[in-house]
Amino acid sequence: MMAGAVHIVGTLVALCCAILLLRGYARGRQRLLLWSGLCFFGLAISNALVFVDLIVFPTQIDLYLPRLATAAVSMLLLLYGLIWEGE
Amino acid sequence: MNTLEAFLLGVIATSSVTAGIFFLKFWKQTRDSLFLAFGLAFVVEGLNRCAVLFLTKANEGNPYVYGVRLLAFLLILGAILHKNYGKAA
Amino acid sequence: MESGTQRLQVALFIIEQIDSVPQLEALLLLFNSRPKTWSIETMAKSLYVRSDAAARILDTLLQRKLIAVHSHRPDVFYYASEDDYQNRLMEAVDAVYRKEVVRVSSLIHSKGSAGVRDFARAFRIKKDKG
Repeated sequence: MMAGAVHIVGTLVALCCAILLLRGYARGRQRLLLWSGLCFFGLAISNALVFVDLIVFPTQIDLYLPRLATAAVSMLLLLYGLIWEGE
Repeated sequence: MNTLEAFLLGVIATSSVTAGIFFLKFWKQTRDSLFLAFGLAFVVEGLNRCAVLFLTKANEGNPYVYGVRLLAFLLILGAILHKNYGKAA
Repeated sequence: MESGTQRLQVALFIIEQIDSVPQLEALLLLFNSRPKTWSIETMAKSLYVRSDAAARILDTLLQRKLIAVHSHRPDVFYYASEDDYQNRLMEAVDAVYRKEVVRVSSLIHSKGSAGVRDFARAFRIKKDKG
């Protein structure tokens, strides 16, 4: 149960960050906000997948690989944005 | 856990810690505690991912791992609230 | 020679409103040539930056109400303030920048880059000066 709660919180926090950052990108067009916004969106998806995997369909499917893959891609997008920010 | 899963965990752990260090650098530059929170959250969660090395059923995690992840999310949430409703806001 | 108070006001203005050296130069170009209108292309050439960078700079200045556009020609920009205080502040900024380019640049760069500041600003949900 705790797993479920943590990942719902995680999905919501990440989604909130994504919306704020992408909105900020729309205003000022600073690339860092685009990449970090996309990262948080991906992390929201990753967290949602954990919830689906462990709580909604605990035995029917194993979403471990998609969970990890979305998180990994998200973090790489963030790193890309962090390295090139300030250009 | 197979090799691909372990590899992806390594990618996540390393990039999280690295991102955290970038945010801590921004905190040092700007003194904005928002970046401190993001920095700590990412570093902590990156190290948390390494906990899988000590778990038997990694894809189910365990309460400690989730507790630390919750802490990381609450750090970020707290920083956002502080920015908008805190004393310095 | 600017008074101490004027220099302080110039510094505050730069800290609060100026993200980069090209942005400051754009604003001063518009101010000193007022009410002449500039297109994005002309500004890009004068600042030695790419068009998209110039567009971003002019957009930001516009959002901060430091410059204006005509409603029927939103792609050309000009300096439009009638406010006497604002105009004298601009003159002081111009004078200080001409004499102390290095110090002004350092001040701008000490704030952290525009991306970093926009990141922090993005998390302000409450409607204030942001």
